[in-house]
Amino acid sequence: MNKIESTPGNFILNEDVQWTTVGGVKVPVELITPAWPDPFLDVEDYDPDGDLMVLNMGPQHPSTHGVLRVKLVLDGEVCIKCVPYLGYLHRGVEKLCEKLSYVQITPIVDKNDYVSPMTNELAINMAFEALIGAEVPRRARYIRTICAEIQRVGSHLLWLGTFGLDMGGAIGGGGSIFMHTFRERELLLDLFEDLTGCRFHYNTHTVGGNRHDIPAGWADKATQVLRVIGTRLVEYEDFVRDNHVFRARTVGVGIIDPQLAIELGISGPVLRASGVDVDLRRDQPYAAYDEIDVAVPTETGGDCFARYLVRVAEMRESIRIATELLTGVPEGPICSLKPVKLPGAVKAKHGRGVYTAIESPRGELGTFVVGNPERRQSAIPYRCKIRSPSMHALQLLPYLCPGNNISDIIVTLGSLDPIMGEVDR
Amino acid sequence: MTWAEDATQLAVDRFGLEVCEHEGPEVGADQLVAFARALKDELDFCFFVYVVSVHYPQVPPVEADAEAGTEAIPGIRDRTVVNYRARRLANADRPTETFAFRTTVPTGESCPSVSSVWVGADWQEREQFDLVGTVFSDHPDLRRIMMPEDWPGHPLRRDYAIDTSHFPWR
Repeated sequence: MNKIESTPGNFILNEDVQWTTVGGVKVPVELITPAWPDPFLDVEDYDPDGDLMVLNMGPQHPSTHGVLRVKLVLDGEVCIKCVPYLGYLHRGVEKLCEKLSYVQITPIVDKNDYVSPMTNELAINMAFEALIGAEVPRRARYIRTICAEIQRVGSHLLWLGTFGLDMGGAIGGGGSIFMHTFRERELLLDLFEDLTGCRFHYNTHTVGGNRHDIPAGWADKATQVLRVIGTRLVEYEDFVRDNHVFRARTVGVGIIDPQLAIELGISGPVLRASGVDVDLRRDQPYAAYDEIDVAVPTETGGDCFARYLVRVAEMRESIRIATELLTGVPEGPICSLKPVKLPGAVKAKHGRGVYTAIESPRGELGTFVVGNPERRQSAIPYRCKIRSPSMHALQLLPYLCPGNNISDIIVTLGSLDPIMGEVDR
Repeated sequence: MTWAEDATQLAVDRFGLEVCEHEGPEVGADQLVAFARALKDELDFCFFVYVVSVHYPQVPPVEADAEAGTEAIPGIRDRTVVNYRARRLANADRPTETFAFRTTVPTGESCPSVSSVWVGADWQEREQFDLVGTVFSDHPDLRRIMMPEDWPGHPLRRDYAIDTSHFPWR
């Protein structure tokens, strides 16, 4: 095991990696696998004697991060086929979007990805603004970016805590790291409470800007909290990174082929841990990201440990971005439209479809909206599709699980960071 | 030139398609898989973004009225428009960009599956089949994914209103 040097702002890259080009982007050679497991494997063909066991993991299983059911076909303790079943948390959000008006949808999509509601609101309101043609004032864009970055830190903190639980109490005995990360996440929730009045489901973004302005003294408090979390991150790294058990459970487990990941539409930290340097904040700037440099941490390991390293480096980067933006929030209005009193006040003219995407903590979170083609002006979308990164990440399971044993499958699943509310919608 | 302009040129020159500004070219069902494969293999649109079916109900024809002076308008069949989008990831020269294309599937006919081109289309097509009712032929595993297996109807169709006799709970 190599001792890894990591200092804030200076992320880790293995210098000895050989690179090749797949799909027009650079990927590490050693992660490319010649053949992928067959997700539709015929079990009868594999073992006609029927000496296999079928195990249903979930939907009520503490380590499936919500109500995911995974049917595993096991040969001894080694999985040979994996079939995920979704839909246990399907709430019909897309149907609701066809019944509610543009300003009423924001609090509904809050509940999609309940770990990072801010980015959900941002994603859907960006699509509505593109459809309606509403401008967003510069101050609102700054507030949106700061919220998104603070939310990213909170989301990754929650992931780190639950990832520790996935390893069966491997880190510091049971829930230690879980308790620590939740303590820090609490500070961030307090920040959001000061800003919006709510701790989880904020309803603070609206079409054309934000509802809530930064209160007096909030910027100083936020900077202070982010500094505290920055110092605690160093403690976590000391706690976790060189922990022997943590290394044993994560290094070399669940290696993801970047070529397969790109084809599956996987994005975010999972793709970056496989060596693909992709980040929509830098490549396709939205909100206020065009006014700030975003460093994109990548790793070349492709395993669970690399995904841990990428997420921790991302937290540092988010803290830096948020702190930097907090010093220069411009003055001005926070919403370009008049305050909405009636739900039908915001109307779209066209019947065309628009797609916008943001980089959520889990990857490319996009929204495809079609305005009502039957009427010249309508306050209700005709069709609204939310492209959730977690659903694409879960498609990896049938390719990742065969050949691994059950305890590794649980760690791999945890490292993908799926949120079932976003998968099922 | 941007990636999307390259793709538009491919659609116009090789496949003879008309390009709409926002929703991309309308591809016929017979050309769909060939077009998707050309997009992926030649222009490196490898990153699969989404497939979305949008259901448009039937529009009845309007008869000509000599007294009012209106002309006849032909009706439009009940159909789903299937929208696809793929992304070309950024390289050193050009930024990342997405390219959209779509195909129109009259109700009762099936749409060819692109899951042989992009593996990621597998679950997305299952979801659109489940919620909108578009049937994808050649799909390896076309089952319901969100709703229970015995659920009646497809919820995201326009004629599936929330206030019909379908029980909203099970």
